[in-house]
Amino acid sequence: MMRKLFYVSTAAFWIAVAGFWIGNLLVPGTDTSATAAEREIGSAELARHAVPQDCWMAIRGNVYDITAYLPDHPSRPSIIEPWCGKEASEAYDTKTKGRKHSPEADALLPKYRIGRFVGGG
Amino acid sequence: MAAAAAAVRQWSVPLLSCVVPVGFAVWAFPEGLPPIRAAGIVTGWLGCGLLLVSLLLMLREPRLAAWLGGLERMYRWHHGTGLAAYLVLLLHPLLLAANNLPAARVAWQTLSPFTESWPVWSGWLGLLLLMGGLVTTFIRSIRYGTWRWLHALLGLGVLTGLVHLILLGIDEPVLPILAVAAAILGWRLIRGDLGLAARPYVVTSARPLAARSVEVVLRPLGDPAMVTPGQFVLAEFGNGARYRGCGEFHPFTVSTIANRDELHLAIKALGDCTTRMLAIEPGVAARVIGGFGGFVDPHGKAPQFWVAGGIGVTPFVALLNAGPLLHPTRLLYLYRSEADAAFLPELRATAASDPKFTLHAVETGDDVPDLGPLLPTAGELSRAECYLCGPPGLVAALKSALAARGVTAQHVHYENFEFR
Repeated sequence: MMRKLFYVSTAAFWIAVAGFWIGNLLVPGTDTSATAAEREIGSAELARHAVPQDCWMAIRGNVYDITAYLPDHPSRPSIIEPWCGKEASEAYDTKTKGRKHSPEADALLPKYRIGRFVGGG
Repeated sequence: MAAAAAAVRQWSVPLLSCVVPVGFAVWAFPEGLPPIRAAGIVTGWLGCGLLLVSLLLMLREPRLAAWLGGLERMYRWHHGTGLAAYLVLLLHPLLLAANNLPAARVAWQTLSPFTESWPVWSGWLGLLLLMGGLVTTFIRSIRYGTWRWLHALLGLGVLTGLVHLILLGIDEPVLPILAVAAAILGWRLIRGDLGLAARPYVVTSARPLAARSVEVVLRPLGDPAMVTPGQFVLAEFGNGARYRGCGEFHPFTVSTIANRDELHLAIKALGDCTTRMLAIEPGVAARVIGGFGGFVDPHGKAPQFWVAGGIGVTPFVALLNAGPLLHPTRLLYLYRSEADAAFLPELRATAASDPKFTLHAVETGDDVPDLGPLLPTAGELSRAECYLCGPPGLVAALKSALAARGVTAQHVHYENFEFR
C-alpha cells in the first residue's frame, strides 16, 4: 500500500513538473522589458514610497513598485522592507553574504517596473 | 496512574504526529497571500514537521520507546509520517509554481532547477535525496547492510531541506529546527548505530532450537540491560575464533531471563547476518540495547488468546518461563513443519502441567492456513485479549479473521518486527 502510494505520487510529481516545463516551451518568447512610458523618477519621489503598503525601490537604474510582491518575497520582512523608498541595487546584488539574486528574480522584476531612476531631487 | 501511563502510550505518537506539523504550519502561516501560494508554503511546513516527528520515532532508546508505546509501534509511525512528509513536500514546489500559472514562463522559473540559485537547488537536492532514500526503502531485494547506508540519504535530505529554508532567508524559526534534527540524527548515530547506549555481554552457549534456529545465551559483563519477559533487545555480535560478526544491531526476542540477568535469545536465520549466527560460538562478545516492546500484558484481567507464527512464539515462551499464568491462556502455535517448531517440547510440557494453559499446535506447510477452523468461537473471544506475533502476512490475516468474529481493534495486540 505504502509502496504503491510512493510510486504513484512520485510519477504524478514528475508528470506535473514536465507539464510546467512544456507549458514554458509552448509560450512564445516575449520581450519582458518595460513597455511603460519612460517616466523619470528622482530620489525625492522615490522616498515618498517607503512603507510596505507603498513600496518602490530603485534597482540598476530602474524603479520598481514591488508593493504587491512584498508578501511573496521569501525572506523575512525585516530584510527587504527597510529598502522601500531607496536605491537598493547593492542590496539586490549582494543578497545574503554577497550572492546575487537569481535569474528567477531578474525575470520577475520587469513585471513591477514603473520608470527610470534619475537620482537627484 | 496505570491508566494515565496507558493513555500516554496510546496517544503520544498520534498527538506528536499532528501537533508538531500543524503547529509549524500555524506558526508560519502566511497572511494576505493568494491561496495557492499560501498552500504551497503550508505544505512545506507540514512536511518539515512530519519529517521531524519521523526522525524522533527512529531513536532506539528504551525509555522513549516505553513512553511512545514501543519500538515496533514507533517504527510503524516512522514509516507513516515519513511517507506523509514526502507526499506534502512533493506538493510544495508544485503549488508554488502553480500560483504563477497565469504566466507559464514565470511558473516554470519558480520550479526550474536550472536557475543559478542555491535556494532552489538545495530544495531540489533535499527532495531528490528523500526520493532516493525512499526508493531504496521500497526495494526489498537490497541487502540490509547496503540498505542502511542508502536509507541514511533520508536524514541527509532532511538536513538539506532545512538548509534550503535558511538560504531562502527564513533562518529565524529554522535554525532551532535544524539543531533539533541534527541532534536527533547524531543521537541515533552515536547511541544506536555506533552502540554507545549498548551494554557489554558475552556468549556463553548456543544450542539448536529447530531447523535454522538457535538459542544463544548471553551473560552480562557489566550492568545488565533492563529487560522483562516478552521483550526484545537489539544485539550486535563481535568476532570469535571461527565466527565473524556482521557489525549490525538486529532485534532478537528474549526467550528466557535466567539468574536475573542472563539473556537467552531465540534467533531464526532469516537473512545474511542471522544465517551466519547459526554457527555462533561461546566467547563471542556481544552488545545489547534494550529491552523494548513487551506487547503482552501478563497482569491483564481478561483471559488471553495468543497466536504465534514460527519464531514469533518466543515472547510467549518467555512469559511462560517467567512464572505461572494468572489467567486462562490459549496459544495457537502455527509452524511449517515439526522440524521448524522451536520450543515445541517445552510448550507441550507446560500445557501438560499448567491447567491455565492450553496449547493448539498446528503444522501449516508453506501457506497461511485457513484460519476459520483454528480460531476460537466469537463467544470464546468476546472477553479475551488477543496477542499476535508472527510474519506480517499472518498477522494481517489474523486481524481480519478476528475482526470478522467481532473482536474490536483495541483487544488485538501484535508485533511483527518491521524495522526496515
